[in-house]
Amino acid sequence: MSLLAPIISDNGTGFSKIGFAGNSDPSFVFPTAIATRGGPSTASSRAGPPIPSKPGSLASKRGVEDLDFFIGDEAIANQKTPGYGVHYPIRHGMIDNWDHMERYWEQTIFKYLRAEPEDHYFLLTEPPLNPPENREQTAEIFFESFNIKGLYIAVQAVLALAASWSSNKVTDRSLTGTVVDSGDGVTHVIPCAEGYVIGSAIKHIPIAGRDISQFVLNLMRERGEMAVVPPEDHLKVASKVKENYSYVCQDIVKEFRKYDADPYNMFQRYTGEHTVTGRTYEVDVGYERFLAPEIFFNPEIYSSDFLTPLPEIVDGVIQQSPIDVRRGLYKNIVLSGGSTMFTHFGQRLKRDLKQIVDRRIEASEMSSGSHMRSTGVEVDVISHKRQRYAVWFGGSLLASLPEFYSYCHTKAQYEEVGPSICRRYQIFGSVN
Amino acid sequence: MILLEPHNTIIRTTVLEKIVKPSALDVQFVDFDGVRFHLSTPDSKTTLLLSMHIRCWNELVQYGALDVLKREYGSLLAATAEPDYNVSLEIDLNQAPPEGEQRDDFVRKLSLLKTNAVAAPFERAFKTQKQLEANPPPEGSQSELMAIHYRDEEAIYIQAASDRVTVFFSTVFREETDRIFGKVFLQEFVDARRLSALQNAPQVLYTNREPPLELRGVPGLTLSDDIGYVTFVLFPRHFTKPDVAEATITHIQLFRDYLHYHIKCSKAYMHSRMRARVSEFQKVLNRAKTEVATTERKTISGRTMQSR
Repeated sequence: MSLLAPIISDNGTGFSKIGFAGNSDPSFVFPTAIATRGGPSTASSRAGPPIPSKPGSLASKRGVEDLDFFIGDEAIANQKTPGYGVHYPIRHGMIDNWDHMERYWEQTIFKYLRAEPEDHYFLLTEPPLNPPENREQTAEIFFESFNIKGLYIAVQAVLALAASWSSNKVTDRSLTGTVVDSGDGVTHVIPCAEGYVIGSAIKHIPIAGRDISQFVLNLMRERGEMAVVPPEDHLKVASKVKENYSYVCQDIVKEFRKYDADPYNMFQRYTGEHTVTGRTYEVDVGYERFLAPEIFFNPEIYSSDFLTPLPEIVDGVIQQSPIDVRRGLYKNIVLSGGSTMFTHFGQRLKRDLKQIVDRRIEASEMSSGSHMRSTGVEVDVISHKRQRYAVWFGGSLLASLPEFYSYCHTKAQYEEVGPSICRRYQIFGSVN
Repeated sequence: MILLEPHNTIIRTTVLEKIVKPSALDVQFVDFDGVRFHLSTPDSKTTLLLSMHIRCWNELVQYGALDVLKREYGSLLAATAEPDYNVSLEIDLNQAPPEGEQRDDFVRKLSLLKTNAVAAPFERAFKTQKQLEANPPPEGSQSELMAIHYRDEEAIYIQAASDRVTVFFSTVFREETDRIFGKVFLQEFVDARRLSALQNAPQVLYTNREPPLELRGVPGLTLSDDIGYVTFVLFPRHFTKPDVAEATITHIQLFRDYLHYHIKCSKAYMHSRMRARVSEFQKVLNRAKTEVATTERKTISGRTMQSR
């Protein structure tokens, strides 16, 4: 029965990417949200979904409140339905509410994937520095509630590295490299050596997709473009503009000049439709096209709290890693997540990083009295087609290898050892 | 969600998407009971090929699955199935019906491919029942017992009689916990029929370990504690009207998955109660203080110790 493809489930803070191994795209991408009866969650609510009162003796008296919920897009659609409240069971990449998460998985498997969990292997993802207790809880749910055949929990960054193997620039399939993972909520820079995450060197950047949209919105409001757009659509229009028109420029000053010299060619028009009246409106899209992704490289244009550019952060992360892997980390910088999809993002990051590295080498050559010559450090940033769902794609790639099954913890092993079997992170490709 | 939906969500969403915007595609996915699907565009972007592999295909063909599929899909049915799969449908996206109800119906029909294939033996049994009713067979004779081995160890048996159609399910519980939950559920099916609102529901019987009398002597039955047999007795009122018959077939087909889905839901429910209880206990523990010993301490000469 191992003919049935393993299921890859990458549950992120904002969106879940779910599908079967061997495919190039996830079958479902929907918000990690669950709408249950009862009010929306407050910041510190522990209470799970409502549970029916103590069962009575009569079948008709028993409630089904615990089955009354929606997940994903349906949850968002039911946001305003009276009686329902939307909850987000994952916070900052880690599972926060296990009651909601268990139900979320239940419906993912039975309603969307329509799979028999008994017949499938599962590959789940976890953020770097996930506490082992969370892995145990996950294993408990999957083995005890769903009776799955086997489970493999992979670190997202490692899967993103594996996804970069699909790029033709990659020649050796190594699991050493730096992952720049930028999603909706937060951007991580994670160094990996031989499949292990170097936890002490991870850096988080509080700038990600949501901030870029907000920045685009601010720019467009300042120019007065948003006057024709209904207020409830502002953020949506801003994120559409960000996704469809933005690119990374090589030099801001030159780019501004280009726009001023030839505004008719460089400015573009975005056409939207009013959700209620159905009337169409048009918005001019200008400087925000190249300014939006610029907040990664010059954060001072957006926030006053966080001022370090992304290339410097990446350099700092690599400098904090053990010296013997630094070359590998510089050589293999992998992009993942929707907010790294801007055209020329990789080239710009590579150029800026190369400058920092070269300047440092030059300085050390100078201070050594110009006697020693460095051979230079190779810096390379890898962009590839699967960047948006890189983590999921990496999982699909690994799980379609025949060896995958031997790295999984099987149900029999789980029953023998207990949940602690998943405490240890079994790296893919290791001897045991 | 109490009932499982009969249609396959992936087929539905993908085909709807591709009608609007055709592009190259190659995806593989599954459905309940080990059914595998392959949706691809082998020749051009506008021709979708939907192939299905189902474990009990040979048995289904024997009971007339091809006729049912021909009736449902007509010219869409490909002459030869894709290698490795049992049946293929060719969908020309240029000829998809216009947007609106028609298209929804068309896509819905496609997403019911598995349901329609498995419906064949049921329809055949309903037909046989009509014939038997018209000219009753001699006393003591039995009509054909149709077996569909839809999973490795589990099967559906369908038998028509002059006044009813009986459907037997055998189901295996691999887990001890599942077996107990399953037993409670199945008992509940038997009990729930006593309610006046459910008088029209088919009769449900449940036996553990021992197969029902009708199945005695069927080869390949294993005797084990893990196996349960569920029997549904369908009367003509459950299948004379076409729409009722369709609903009956869909529900009975999904019965096993429905049962296992609810076993899992109950476990999830138990887990939330357990978590709630643990956090209650933790609150109590956090409030607790260690008892301070208040005994008077004296020196050996009888004087009292004082703490300052």
